[in-house]
Amino acid sequence: MFILKNAWISIKRNKGRNILIGIIILIIACACTITLAIKNTASDLINSYKSAYEKEVTIGFDRENMMKDFDPSQKEERESAREKFDNIASYTISDVLKFADSDYIESYYYTYGVGLNGNNIEKAEIESNSNMSNGFGHGKENNMSDTDFTLTGYSSEDAMSEFISGAYTMSEIVDNAWDIAFNGNYVFINEELASYNNLKLNDKIKLEDEDGNVYEFEIIGIFKENDEDNQESMSMFSNSVNTIVTNSDAVVNLTNGNENLKASIHPTFIIDSYDNVEKLQDEFYEKGLDENFILQTNEELAESGVSSVKNISSFSTTFLVITLIIGGIVLFVINMINIRERKYEIGVLRTIGISKFKLTMQFVSELVIVSVVALTLGAGIGAVSSKGVSNSLLANEISSSNEKTEEINKNFGGMNHGERGGMHGKGMPVVQAYDSIDAVVDIKVLLELLSIGLSLVLVSSIASMVSIQRFSPLTILKERS
Amino acid sequence: MANKKKNDYVSKDKEVKEKNTSPKDIILSIKNANYRYSDAEEDDYALKNVSFDFESGKIYAIKGRSGTGKTTLLSLISGLEKCTEGEIIFDGKSLKSMNLDKYRNNDIGIVFQSYNLLPFMTACENIILSMDANGLKIKNKKEKAIELMEKVGLKASYANRKVLRLSGGEQQRVAIARSLSYNPKMIIADEPTGNLDKQTETEILDIFKKLAHEENKCVIIVTHSQNVCDTVDKIYNLKKVQEK
Repeated sequence: MFILKNAWISIKRNKGRNILIGIIILIIACACTITLAIKNTASDLINSYKSAYEKEVTIGFDRENMMKDFDPSQKEERESAREKFDNIASYTISDVLKFADSDYIESYYYTYGVGLNGNNIEKAEIESNSNMSNGFGHGKENNMSDTDFTLTGYSSEDAMSEFISGAYTMSEIVDNAWDIAFNGNYVFINEELASYNNLKLNDKIKLEDEDGNVYEFEIIGIFKENDEDNQESMSMFSNSVNTIVTNSDAVVNLTNGNENLKASIHPTFIIDSYDNVEKLQDEFYEKGLDENFILQTNEELAESGVSSVKNISSFSTTFLVITLIIGGIVLFVINMINIRERKYEIGVLRTIGISKFKLTMQFVSELVIVSVVALTLGAGIGAVSSKGVSNSLLANEISSSNEKTEEINKNFGGMNHGERGGMHGKGMPVVQAYDSIDAVVDIKVLLELLSIGLSLVLVSSIASMVSIQRFSPLTILKERS
Repeated sequence: MANKKKNDYVSKDKEVKEKNTSPKDIILSIKNANYRYSDAEEDDYALKNVSFDFESGKIYAIKGRSGTGKTTLLSLISGLEKCTEGEIIFDGKSLKSMNLDKYRNNDIGIVFQSYNLLPFMTACENIILSMDANGLKIKNKKEKAIELMEKVGLKASYANRKVLRLSGGEQQRVAIARSLSYNPKMIIADEPTGNLDKQTETEILDIFKKLAHEENKCVIIVTHSQNVCDTVDKIYNLKKVQEK
């Protein structure tokens, strides 16, 4: 009680200094509240986005390893590389099923693709440079680019509907399409292909392989790209116009007993955590995956959706650290001056028998009382302004990110409206998952603020603590005399 | 033996007047106390072989020329410094084994030449501060403070006056009242009348005499004032001696 009473008397007595300390702590508290709110909210958004985003793993060539020490100018090396490439043991559906039996994998699907030519339909002519959708994954390519169409079979309804409803919209579909889609030779085709060949629902299309074997399919759905912008962006690396979507069994049936008809399988595994990719890869190698393959994740893609939010979060952290360092130094200096000014008071109080501990506690209490008031005000101001500040920062970040992308497009011939083609991925505008943060000051932020504030106060009080321990009351009083 | 350093000291006590006392009245006893500053050389003592006894109900003067260690001795008695060798016994207990903060705000009262009051406080607040430090549980501390002020000859109307607005003599009275706030057994005063005129000095000394003779307190005054020495019951003389 004595400590608090004396601390309160001292606060009232040194109004000017305590108001100055209060203002500094208020500014720190305000900045901390805003940055902590942004940081925590951004972190929550990133986590929820990442957890909602399926963690996909696909199998791809380890091109870096394969191209190591490769000199393309040497004919022998080119041939040896080709031989090496041809000798890579591919994987089959049964391998994929074996791989999928892992503790790290939550679910999986695969596409089974085969290249075929038209029998009663013609390939839709577009300006694109490939008829193979890049979206169908990686793997050892067959001669699909030499054929008119790619027949892609999906192993699951989810995967197929996700593909169709992602970048595409179903423009026409038969009533029971999803009931029969996996029970026979039924296909979904692109609207452009349908229009080019004047096809409609329930029409039968015929495709043939290089040996002249003809396969018949019934159209149960027609899909189209979602919108103009998307169409342009997707067509840059995902030309689905001549891709015909069916179920994987239909493709398996085609390839069974036809050795010349080579299909490629592109599995996609949904894993529990990106942290387990290396362990999963080792497991795949143990299960017989050729070591020229590696596992590739969509982590970068998942990250890109929240890159602006991450930038804001990282900026907030840096700002917080700088504020705390500067604020801490200023408070420390003010405390040093405070102690020097109050040396005589310390001497008198020590002489009349007030212990060093009580005296230290009194000085710390003074700072804590001022800090608690300033922290409360700062938290209030921070809470009111955090939403506006965070959204304004994010808007600036997104705008700056878009400007940068446009600049890259301009300089490196990236995609412009009305143009197709260009570099894979480069210049592609990053679609941000969030265009507002709405940083919220919750109990977690307040507790963090309180602990940061009190830690700062204690650290800046070190000067007074040390001085009180060191001062000899007699020396102080002698100096005064 | 070779000459000792100039700043070696010995103590010598000189009795001026003495009443009949018994050993049980001894409240403070200094036994072969030596003191050397921490930064001094090994045999460079500020005080050496000091042995004094102080009794309750008496007023003492410790006198000596400047540099003889009077203030150092006072700081040892008041527990602001500790003896390098020897010991100080208060009320049968060695200061070494006591909590010196508690000793200072419970057993002894200290009065300084320069008063050492907190200038931003009123006379009354200075006295109450000392009561608070002692943990004294009194219902009306202000009333008690005013009572103490009146006891040392200060008007009650001065209670709410900032100490800087009081004269030197008045400030010294506040300091004495503060030292009495928790009713200590011993009052230690360092040149308490050094800054005061003759008339005020006499008045302050009267207060000390009353405290010793009427309230059975032991009062120790460090001084080089002859007027003070004439008033006290016993004088201890500290001398700086150059041994050969």
